Amino acid sequence: MPMLRGETLELIALKMLAPGKWVTYEGRIYMDVFTLAIWVGTLIFLGVSFIRDKTKTKQSLKMALGMGKGMVASILSIIFAIGLILTLLPPMEIASFVGKQSVLLATVVAALFGTITLVPAFIAFPLVGTLVGAGVSVVPAVAFLTTLTMVGVVTFPLEKKEFGVKFTAVRNGLSFLFAIVIALVMGVMI
Amino acid sequence: MTVLKRIKENLFLAIVVLAYIIMFVMNPAMGTESIKNSGYYIKEMLMIMPVIFVLTALLDTWVPKEKIMRYLGKDAGAKGVFLSFVVGSISAGPIYAAFPMCVMLHRKGASIRNLVIILSSWAVIKVPMLLNEAKFLGPKFMAVRWVLTVFAILIFSWISAKIIQDEDLPGEVLAQPGLHINRDACMGCSLCAKSYPALFEMIGKKAAIKANEPQSLDVEKLQSAMDACPVHAIQYSQE
Repeated sequence: MPMLRGETLELIALKMLAPGKWVTYEGRIYMDVFTLAIWVGTLIFLGVSFIRDKTKTKQSLKMALGMGKGMVASILSIIFAIGLILTLLPPMEIASFVGKQSVLLATVVAALFGTITLVPAFIAFPLVGTLVGAGVSVVPAVAFLTTLTMVGVVTFPLEKKEFGVKFTAVRNGLSFLFAIVIALVMGVMI
Repeated sequence: MTVLKRIKENLFLAIVVLAYIIMFVMNPAMGTESIKNSGYYIKEMLMIMPVIFVLTALLDTWVPKEKIMRYLGKDAGAKGVFLSFVVGSISAGPIYAAFPMCVMLHRKGASIRNLVIILSSWAVIKVPMLLNEAKFLGPKFMAVRWVLTVFAILIFSWISAKIIQDEDLPGEVLAQPGLHINRDACMGCSLCAKSYPALFEMIGKKAAIKANEPQSLDVEKLQSAMDACPVHAIQYSQE
């Protein structure tokens, strides 16, 4: 089911209620090619590694398992937190709210919303596409797109654990600031 | 270990669990919806995380420190910056998938600046994302945003490197004589306790050296425990 620009917000909302369908519809094609490439590459790497040194390879696999165990609780917290946020702050409602505000307020709200959640790109782009198609300024749209993936409140605890407070605070803070700068510059250029 | 301590160590997890409990009590329908919403992200994680962990561990095992330092270290210059953008752009998965990879790269000598570039480009400028963006927002929109984002990352990664020192990241303990465990880096996988139970034990989800250390260190066993540690948190140097 192809999605065109200018489709109604309600229609997208309906589609978003069935995320499973979304996965099979778009994104997946692209995502799978890249993810698949990583899988294939890693499996080949693993095979070569195994031929060259069995013990080292086993050690590596153990290490991978250890890493997984160390991160699984944090990752699950992130995932379920996103699920919760999406229920409490449905992207559709935020989008229609943003659409009615002044550009400045809309930009701040959009950037903050992008910060607290993580929405897959193949939902974010059509959503933003619709907003821009409906005449909303590109500035909040871009602010949302950039903070969405680059800045993360939900990933903050894990990032802090892995890289320390200072690194995490500086990276997220600067990303947020520059997301707004990018949005403003794009507003002038487009 | 007390329950309180365990909650403190996993504060975020505890908050999320609590939020779900409250939600299920107040509004069960919303609770179910939240779980359903999480479904996609679980799939996404299962699709990418196992392979990222294996790839990170393999790279850790086979790529020598000098190589990483030469290509991604402080003195790698423009080459390192370019390579970091490439690594981030051809990756897959959400930003947290980049964490284990970046931790490993940093330990092997990648600079803070290149770390920030990899993390940021992993998040925003992936090729599959750009294709989607061009489709829904037009190629011009995509191209302009891409150029601006690359510039922004170039600038703020440079600023980050000015503010953050290598010592600010966990896992950077100065070599002191004797046996050390970096408890900030330890993530409680307990591999060390399994490979050298006479020396290591788990205290409060973190590895520790047993109070009554064995009289003579089995260097071979110690080495295997050190190699097994996924975060290389065990350090040993003779006095």
